[in-house]
Amino acid sequence: MMTRSRLILLILLGAAALLTFWKIPLASSQGVTVVATEISDSLPVADLDSPLWQQATAVEVPLSAQIVARPFLTETNIKSVTIRALYNNEQIAFRVEWADATEDSSTVRIQDFRDAVALQFPLAEGEPFYCMGQEGGDVNIWHWKADWQADLVARQDVDTAYPNMDVDFYPFADETAGKAAGVADYKDTNYVTALAAGNLLASVSLASPVEDLIAGGFGSLTSQPVEMQNVQGYGAWSEGMWRVVFIRELETSEGDDVRFVNGVVYPMAVAAWDGTNEERNGQKSTSQWISLHLGENAVAPVTAGAETSAAADAATTATTRSTSNINTLEALPYIFVPMILVFLSMLAFMGGVFLLSKLPGKK
Amino acid sequence: MEIKGDAQWSTAVSGHEDNEQPVVFRKAVPFTLTLLPYSRWLAVAALLEWLISRTLTRAAIHIPKTPALITGYQALNTVGQVAAAFVTLLAVFLLVWLAWHEWQHQDERLRPLLLIGRVILSLAFLFIIPSHELLLLHHLLTLAILASFTLTYLQTRPLPAISARLVYLLAVTTLFIGVIYQMLPVWYTVLHLPGPSPLTGTLFNLGEGLVLLSVAGLWWVYGRAAAWRTWFIALLPTLFFILLYGRDPAMTGILVIWSTGLSLYLPWVLYAAALCLAVVTLLTGWRKNPPVAIALALLAAAGYAPQMSSQLFCAFVALWWLARPQTAPSHPLPQP
Repeated sequence: MMTRSRLILLILLGAAALLTFWKIPLASSQGVTVVATEISDSLPVADLDSPLWQQATAVEVPLSAQIVARPFLTETNIKSVTIRALYNNEQIAFRVEWADATEDSSTVRIQDFRDAVALQFPLAEGEPFYCMGQEGGDVNIWHWKADWQADLVARQDVDTAYPNMDVDFYPFADETAGKAAGVADYKDTNYVTALAAGNLLASVSLASPVEDLIAGGFGSLTSQPVEMQNVQGYGAWSEGMWRVVFIRELETSEGDDVRFVNGVVYPMAVAAWDGTNEERNGQKSTSQWISLHLGENAVAPVTAGAETSAAADAATTATTRSTSNINTLEALPYIFVPMILVFLSMLAFMGGVFLLSKLPGKK
Repeated sequence: MEIKGDAQWSTAVSGHEDNEQPVVFRKAVPFTLTLLPYSRWLAVAALLEWLISRTLTRAAIHIPKTPALITGYQALNTVGQVAAAFVTLLAVFLLVWLAWHEWQHQDERLRPLLLIGRVILSLAFLFIIPSHELLLLHHLLTLAILASFTLTYLQTRPLPAISARLVYLLAVTTLFIGVIYQMLPVWYTVLHLPGPSPLTGTLFNLGEGLVLLSVAGLWWVYGRAAAWRTWFIALLPTLFFILLYGRDPAMTGILVIWSTGLSLYLPWVLYAAALCLAVVTLLTGWRKNPPVAIALALLAAAGYAPQMSSQLFCAFVALWWLARPQTAPSHPLPQP
């Protein structure tokens, strides 16, 4: 029997089906938001301590706790990452930091696994959720690898891990007998089939420690062609912390790249790998979707000795400093005052709600 | 869609003499019964959307992909997306209806305005990019609504049992913490502070711990009378979780955080126990106390620190049901 409630439910179900078919989103994201701050300077790629980074608000994003079942591994476990973002009229940069007790930047031995971090952006619009893409919903992934970072300085090979190794002869390589031949030693790439096929792993020299990938459905994770690898990066490990910067043009002409436009909110996800924990592929720590918003201009820094941009003449409302360079007591007002304000405002709201609920209403 | 026990429950709450019940209770009964089928549909759709869109289809990344499997998962994903859209439409419909009812028939003025304002903001954010101040307002409205639900619940007369009150406060506090965790970066952005807030991680972990406590509390108040069959059924998903975690903790961690927002930072045994207790409470309530089952299903679908506005709306509806006098243990249902 068709009751009123069933009729209403059927109408809503029909509406839901139509809206899904037309890919019209109904729910807005309300998760954690990373606001990319606009600056007029060049983005700091290699300078991880640049005061410019303090102009962007950092967001701590919890990751799924990964404790791979090893009896001897209890300390290294990436529980959260901190992200902040800057952009100018040409490029956008993200700085990602996380705690890692050990630096794992070699994958030469089969028992070695790299530290890594990745950012994921969906390419299609209008749909809220993706995980590694789906049919009609590709994702663009920027994957920074610690071993690729190390390779930029000096390409690692078997002889890096085993310096006393010896070989008889590498055919087709211009290298004297007894020494390991690297990819660069092959003049004819026909004998380095991976290189001839455009495999990034076989590149003579890497242009970037970041691999630009795309996934468009299950089992379709694909590295973009060499000529389309346009994400730069830099990472350094120090005192138990990794800090990695990703940088890329805001706009690209490539269809498989995410394009950043001011005034648009982008879903974004983060994944991190701890090499000591033998994490690789799907064995990783990952976040939920967070939102990226290209926000307004930064407030110019006033700190003596810090970089000043042309916008420094504008009225400033806050003094920003690198928190790593100031005394803890000095930092307290910048940390706890906002926290206190938040809780006071909550208390005020609750008190207001309580008082207003006591007002006589319509009978 | 009939649920066993519905007729018994509706008779129980409507069978009292009018002059034995407070005015609010008498007026609430017909409206609550009217809302029940819609809420049931919302709970089912929200569970479907949660299990399909946020859990099953994401599990596919970890298994071999054959063409048939890919086709099957694409179809499943479409069903999940329809369910997600349906949940949003129905949740908005229910919240607007609730707000209208409270404005017309009860003494509430502020909460209807807060609810409508929150819904309007969420819908507006589909078309406009919110400024930081608007985002902050958006989160503060959510906190105010949660506070309003709590105040209304504590003003219910007769007062619910202390255990029920504690459980309600636990559930609200968990949602509160989730919203604050999401609000803090926005607050820091508005203040132009570099951050991150030093309490973010601690807050998030605290909230996750409270999720487990809330589940245990809900079971203690509403699920202790479960039959052995219910425990047997509840053990099935629990065993599945345990086996999955034992087989591949990394994959399980990814699935759980994408599905529920929980990071599994506590010992896995606690999460397994919470899952078992949640299913027991849900199944027990489905027969004996439908509002509790609906509330628990909606809270489970909402997840921790809800990512989408539709999930938060489900949490609002859940809190509304948990706050109903008919749900409280101080009004035990007469048994046949």
